[in-house]
Amino acid sequence: MSEMKDMITEVVERMLKENVDKDLVDTVEQGDWAPALWELFEENGMTVVAVTEENGGAGGDIEDLLNIVRLTGKYAAPIPFIETTFANYLLEYLNLQILEGLATYRLSTNQVFTLENGTLTGEAHHIPWARHVKHLVTLAYSSEGTHLVEIDLSQADIKQGTNLAGEPRDTVTFQHALVSQTSSVLSPDEIHKLTTLCTAFQLALMTGAIDKINDLTIQFTKEREQFGRPIHRFQLVQQHIVHLAGETALALAAFNNVTEALLTNNENSEVAYARIRFEEIIQAVTTISHQVHAAIGTTHEHSLHQFTRRLWAWRDEGVNSSYWTNIVALQLMENSEDSLWAYLTTSNSSSPLLKVEG
Amino acid sequence: MLHLPTVQFTEEQEQFRVEVRAFLQDELAKGTFTPKCDSWLSGDDPEFSRLIGQQGWIGLTWPKKYGGQERSTIDRYILTEEFLAVGAPVAAHWFADRQTGPLLLRYGSEEQREFFLPQIVKGECYFGIGLSEPNSGSDLASVTTRAEKVEGGWIVNGQKIWTSNAHLCHYMVTLVRTSPFDGKNKHAGLSQLIIDLQAQGVTIVPIKYLTGEHHYNEVFFDNVFVPDNMVVGEIGNGWAQGLAELAFERSGPERILSTFPLIDELIQELKRQNNSQGLTQASKIVARLWSLRNLSIGVAQLLESGNSEDVSIPAALVKALGTKFEQSIPEITRLIIQTYPSLDADRKIDRFMAQSILHAPGFTIRGGTSEVLYGVVAKGVVAQ
Ligand SMILES: Cc1cc2nc3c(=O)[nH]c(=O)nc-3n(C[C@H](O)[C@H](O)[C@H](O)COP(=O)(O)OP(=O)(O)OC[C@H]3O[C@@H](n4cnc5c(N)ncnc54)[C@H](O)[C@@H]3O)c2cc1C
Repeated sequence: MSEMKDMITEVVERMLKENVDKDLVDTVEQGDWAPALWELFEENGMTVVAVTEENGGAGGDIEDLLNIVRLTGKYAAPIPFIETTFANYLLEYLNLQILEGLATYRLSTNQVFTLENGTLTGEAHHIPWARHVKHLVTLAYSSEGTHLVEIDLSQADIKQGTNLAGEPRDTVTFQHALVSQTSSVLSPDEIHKLTTLCTAFQLALMTGAIDKINDLTIQFTKEREQFGRPIHRFQLVQQHIVHLAGETALALAAFNNVTEALLTNNENSEVAYARIRFEEIIQAVTTISHQVHAAIGTTHEHSLHQFTRRLWAWRDEGVNSSYWTNIVALQLMENSEDSLWAYLTTSNSSSPLLKVEG
Repeated sequence: MLHLPTVQFTEEQEQFRVEVRAFLQDELAKGTFTPKCDSWLSGDDPEFSRLIGQQGWIGLTWPKKYGGQERSTIDRYILTEEFLAVGAPVAAHWFADRQTGPLLLRYGSEEQREFFLPQIVKGECYFGIGLSEPNSGSDLASVTTRAEKVEGGWIVNGQKIWTSNAHLCHYMVTLVRTSPFDGKNKHAGLSQLIIDLQAQGVTIVPIKYLTGEHHYNEVFFDNVFVPDNMVVGEIGNGWAQGLAELAFERSGPERILSTFPLIDELIQELKRQNNSQGLTQASKIVARLWSLRNLSIGVAQLLESGNSEDVSIPAALVKALGTKFEQSIPEITRLIIQTYPSLDADRKIDRFMAQSILHAPGFTIRGGTSEVLYGVVAKGVVAQ
């Protein structure tokens, strides 16, 4: 863990607290975003955390970066933070040039982009923030195999769309557009590693939203009174609070274990377990928080939906849990240990991922 | 109390179901409406309501002299199921048909029945439900909107909230205090007034649902005059009258079928994909639906036979179980089939998923929260 972590998270949380309110988050739904907030992040060096100093980065490690992502999720910050930082993380990971300016990414192994003579052709749906950003980092398929490429979005035809939370999710079409950077052919193991990182970033974002929903709900049970007392005094509401707190604690612990594993390059199945478990966590947390808030929580005016709708959207975006259940199933099938317990308690074992493809 | 009657539909009833279904399929083919989930509360379309009125399908059970058809509760149950199964936009006339009509038939004056029922039946007169207030949700008896007696009527001051479709409604049955709150008997001193929403002093302010749609409203009363002939039943008896309404509101097919169009589309999609493993999983949904429907129809049968004192507990039970079921449908669906929920998606299942996910939180809240219902059921079962 970097010594900077506490300092970074403190600074970022303060910036978000002071600059993001319900109305600012709403601007995304109206098709706008928050460039001023982005500038603030840039000025404070937060957009280049975990980029090495030799590449113009601010230092820090993946744990620092994932914690900033977590906080952008906690405040539903209307900036392409996860998009830009993960795009750069991928590029640097594959020894490509990191980017100036805003970027987004697509890591689905659904083969829509073909790479031919250094040009890209194809159409992809639900690309986050495409209309607002300059670069796209994506997988592309040539006759030799799978590559990671970076391309300028000004060459794309972009059709605007949104997800359940009103966040920009655009359809992007290229016709023989010139790519700016291309990686060498990626092995299935490398693609799996990129997918693992991608899921870890998404888990960070989700963890932030889950944490916020828990805060909002607990606060509400103290403020809302019925039958002459705050509703947290009712046993059925207490049961909701305990369930919610439990799922939130599970999410936070899962996230922290994932970052720890990534940091020590010891990641084996942590991301898979976390992503699978987050399915239940998201269902429980969204259902309980709405039930406890009752009518007020179903209004657009209340901020609860800015987090619940995001979770409902995010869980079906990118690499979802069915990819990860397949991975775990495969590992269990091919596990050479004598017992489940032996498998569970073996760290650092190499996993049979070569056989799995998107 | 837990032994509910079974219902075998008669040949005429089966025939009626076929007739309704054919009509709806025809209208669907003509493009008269677009099917959606939660259509009974969020699908308002006055033109469609008038069309249903022309069919004679509003106030189906009411006396002929008020424009009704004197059909059975089971016939109405069948009709309602068919509307919900296809996701037809029946929200505009919904409360008037389900609640206000039966209320007036039971407690209203002859003058009120003659004035309101024929308009309701035509699909041209809509009622809102004026119960909740900002500080009175589950604790409904604590409402503070008050009516004071004046010459020839009452002067109302206060506020209602969450009034579904008040912006489309002509009237609202409003629960008000007609005598001061008495902590020892908080259910006393409440009355039901029919308030004309065009009356002077009424202000309707929209509240946006979390999707951004205009669904419910705040309704403010500033010295609104309500004539004596708009009091429903007896002054001071509003609580008991309101409770009687609940039996009609709590156990209908709309507590099970709000997300039925999604279930239907899930099965269609799995069939198209020839996905037998998915269908195996989906069969559990079908079995749950079947078993809940047995309960809901059983309660309808009790209402039909006039055995209504036994109805309130099973009715609350049906709502608690049924709304949890309909709320769970998008969650189960997405584990069976890959979807990308979006309100403006091209693929039907993605659209139904989005509608279901975004409206599901309300299912276990509107009409009394599950927590409150659990209390009612537990008390009732223990008291046996
Ligand atoms: C979509 C929608 C449409 C609606 N339409 C209408 C309408 O047309 N007309 C109308 O009058 N109202 C309408 N309502 C309001 C609805 O009736 C209320 O939301 C409901 O009664 C709950 O009240 P509340 O929202 O104030 O929640 P609260 O009563 O504040 O409850 C908050 C939480 O505390 C719990 N709680 C409260 N008391 C207890 C207790 N004693 N024991 C255990 N738990 C408790 C609740 O279950 C809930 O989880 C609508 C609501 C929705 C969501």
